[in-house]
Amino acid sequence: MKRLWEHIGQTNSASAAYLVAGAVWFFVGASYGLTTAIHLVSPELFNNIPWLVFGRTRPIHVNTVIYGFVVSAGVGAALHYVPALLKTRLWSERLGWLSWLFWQAAVVSGPICFSLGITQGREYAEYTFPFDCCVMATLLLLLVNLVMTVANRTEKSLYVSVWYILGMALWTAGVYPIGNVMWNPPSGALPGLLDSVFLWFYGHNLVGLLLTPAALASAYYVIPRICKTPLYSHTLSLVGFWALAAIYTHIGGHHILQAPIPNWLKTLSVVDSMAMIVPVLTVLVNLWLTARGRFGMLWNDIAGRWVLVGTLWYLVTCIQGPIQSLPSVQKITHFSNWTIGHAHIAVLGFSGFIALGAMWHVLPAVAGREIWSRRLLHIQFGLMMFGLAGFFAVLTTAGLIQGHAWYNGETEYRVLPEIAPYMALRAMLGLFIIAGALLGLINVILTFTRGPRLAPPVEIVRPAPTGQGVAL
Amino acid sequence: MKMTPALLILGGLLVFWTSVFIAIFLPAMTMRETPSDIWQPWTAEQSAGHDLYVANGCSYCHSQFVRVFDSGHGANRVSQIGDWYDQTPAILGTERTGPDLSLEGGEHPDDWHIAHFVNPRNTRPQSLMPSWEFLGHDNIHKLTALMQSQGGLLAKRRMDGEQTDGSGGQNYWKAQATAAFEAGPDANIQWLHENVAAPWRAMPNPYQADQAALGRGQLYYQQFCIGCHGSVGDGQTPAAKYIYPPPLNFTELDGRLWQGKYIGGIFYYQVMNGITGTAMPYFKRELESEKIWDVSNYVAVRFLGYTDAGLYPYGIGVSYEDPSWRNPYLVSPATQPAGRPAAAPARSPQ
Ligand code: HEM
Ligand code: HEM
Repeated sequence: MKRLWEHIGQTNSASAAYLVAGAVWFFVGASYGLTTAIHLVSPELFNNIPWLVFGRTRPIHVNTVIYGFVVSAGVGAALHYVPALLKTRLWSERLGWLSWLFWQAAVVSGPICFSLGITQGREYAEYTFPFDCCVMATLLLLLVNLVMTVANRTEKSLYVSVWYILGMALWTAGVYPIGNVMWNPPSGALPGLLDSVFLWFYGHNLVGLLLTPAALASAYYVIPRICKTPLYSHTLSLVGFWALAAIYTHIGGHHILQAPIPNWLKTLSVVDSMAMIVPVLTVLVNLWLTARGRFGMLWNDIAGRWVLVGTLWYLVTCIQGPIQSLPSVQKITHFSNWTIGHAHIAVLGFSGFIALGAMWHVLPAVAGREIWSRRLLHIQFGLMMFGLAGFFAVLTTAGLIQGHAWYNGETEYRVLPEIAPYMALRAMLGLFIIAGALLGLINVILTFTRGPRLAPPVEIVRPAPTGQGVAL
Repeated sequence: MKMTPALLILGGLLVFWTSVFIAIFLPAMTMRETPSDIWQPWTAEQSAGHDLYVANGCSYCHSQFVRVFDSGHGANRVSQIGDWYDQTPAILGTERTGPDLSLEGGEHPDDWHIAHFVNPRNTRPQSLMPSWEFLGHDNIHKLTALMQSQGGLLAKRRMDGEQTDGSGGQNYWKAQATAAFEAGPDANIQWLHENVAAPWRAMPNPYQADQAALGRGQLYYQQFCIGCHGSVGDGQTPAAKYIYPPPLNFTELDGRLWQGKYIGGIFYYQVMNGITGTAMPYFKRELESEKIWDVSNYVAVRFLGYTDAGLYPYGIGVSYEDPSWRNPYLVSPATQPAGRPAAAPARSPQ
């Protein structure tokens, strides 16, 4: 049995490290979610326990699930499939580990610092300056590693997944320092209203240029492989990719639509939120037409099922998204649990489900072992699907109740009893998601330690003609 | 189009930074923030309160801006661009589990805030807000100072009253209310009743105090009043520890009614408008008319055994009421004020 550090430098070891971290953070982050949800049912259950107070656990929950779970798992899968798609090895496994270390340092800072009240307090940009630097270090190290891997490739064309992963690192390395106002270390903020423009440029592109490309890259990788078909259209891939970069980047204003930001910025963000239909539908049409006639194969492969359902959540999220960008809709939905519902189907349903699908898909190749229990995966999927669909229903309902009541002139205090049953249901549904996270974590650990060994080395079936459409 | 590494990286950067230019650099160059009409700089204490607000995540439940179509708490002025001038960070918030706080200053006196921060259910029985007692006395005072600064000049006017004659405002009324309280129950209740607008003092409760109405009144009492006034109406509650003058003990009203007669209109007015200067908040934004009359009947019947529901003067009765209803709560076990009829007469034109 090798010692842990002896694995560093081995092929796929950085990928494995990210995947395991993702599985761990999923469980930790979801547990903080449940703690947070319990506050909204019974505010005195953890009365006067400073590190468990709602205002501190909430950002721990949100940052841990996003950066810890979804991004770690997504990057972990990518560090495996990007070299595989380029028919080479990751340029430097050691650099991969170093980036991992910085990333985990940033993620750990959430539960530690926030629970002590050490935070910059801007939603999604709470990590303090030293840890902002860790995030930047990770992004730059990943960027170098990826670019050098591309430079050393033996496969000539670049497959769509590679575009998205490179784009993700390239864009996030720009989005992060701007959105976190990193040139202003103590507060990480600007004075006045302008700060909100920066913050929601960040909050929006965190999901749009970090989570979305990571998830789409994985979907583009997994779906053709499981369906054993070439990608439907190169042109649609191009349109989807460039439209995402061009449109998503500047619509963050729809988060502060009702604040007195300049009108042109509001108009722009509403109009181009509608235009998001283009990158969303081109990608989905491309992926689904790739799988046409073979949805059964996707569904029957449990990893594929996660990805397939993730694309469905993407559709729901991105129908909901543009609609709730409309001023007349936001009048009701803004400030309410409706948005919390959107956030969960987006971050967990879309990017989280696809990250999990990709993780389970690459895990055998990364670990050199078969998944410890596929049966457990089916149970995990069922639990999470039930929990998440329930979240969506319950939170959307609660949001509509709040929004309409407020619009009707009822005060926030009056509306609390009206949403009480939904808050209780949400906390209960959270148990299903936590149970799923726990089963997943156990399965990952047991796969690495007890999974039946695969005959080495695994022959990786790559998605046929990379970079080109059907014609090739 | 063939995707080459150069195209991917250069193109990716170009498209991205163009978009960033529009979304970030243009607003940064063109948005000019100057102090708005109500803006005020923070004192050191208020600024420390803001740090606590940020560190403890108050912003996850409270917003910091009022929208055009808002009604309810804080909806007295739509936010304008210079309202957050020089505040770092001004976290506008994305949720309203609790009310908007941008105009919170002067809504309540300090003692209400302190009782509320120690345990929000002290003053708001159904609140979901965490208790902040663990932050300690000093920090709660800093947060209170921040709350009282929210709304800038508007908040200052609500606290200090009109600058010219010093009348009105939390501070002015607090001095009055404290003096009245310290002068003993007779003077205190006299003062409380005198400060109800005259027409209300002559108005009996126009709602029948039937069982259904009293049941509703009890529900509202539990949702809004019980934290300070307590389940037996004596004001001996955890909140009372932090509040001065303390919450009224309703039983003290017995025998001290306005000119020995009415209480309906007086209760209504006090619940509607609150008693500025004391921790008694206004409820006109939480409770509509019928609810206030119901809770008034409930408090009167439950804690005094008497209500003036159905007494003269009245006009044409409301259609849904049962004309055969007679007010059974006209005899109080304690002092019988002069002129009170033993049972309500049948309604007849007078
Ligand atoms: C046990 C499962 C979970 C529970 C009980 C839970 C509960 C919560 C709660 C109570 C909030 C704060 C809502 C509020 O302030 O009103 C929240 C926010 C959030 N959660 Fe979860 N959550 C869970 C799992 C997840 C997972 C797995 C993800 C993502 C992968 C996620 C992503 C988010 C996001 C992005 C927000 C911020 C929403 C916003 O600000 O609009 N949650 N969650
Ligand atoms: C067509 C694409 C999308 C559009 C137009 C869109 C639009 C919006 C809008 C308008 C809001 C703010 C709602 C409000 O505050 O009233 C919002 C919130 C949010 N969206 Fe989306 N969305 C889209 C896709 C996504 C995707 C793909 C993700 C995640 C991967 C996502 C994650 C979130 C999250 C986490 C929030 C909550 C932000 C907060 O804390 O307030 N959205 N979205």
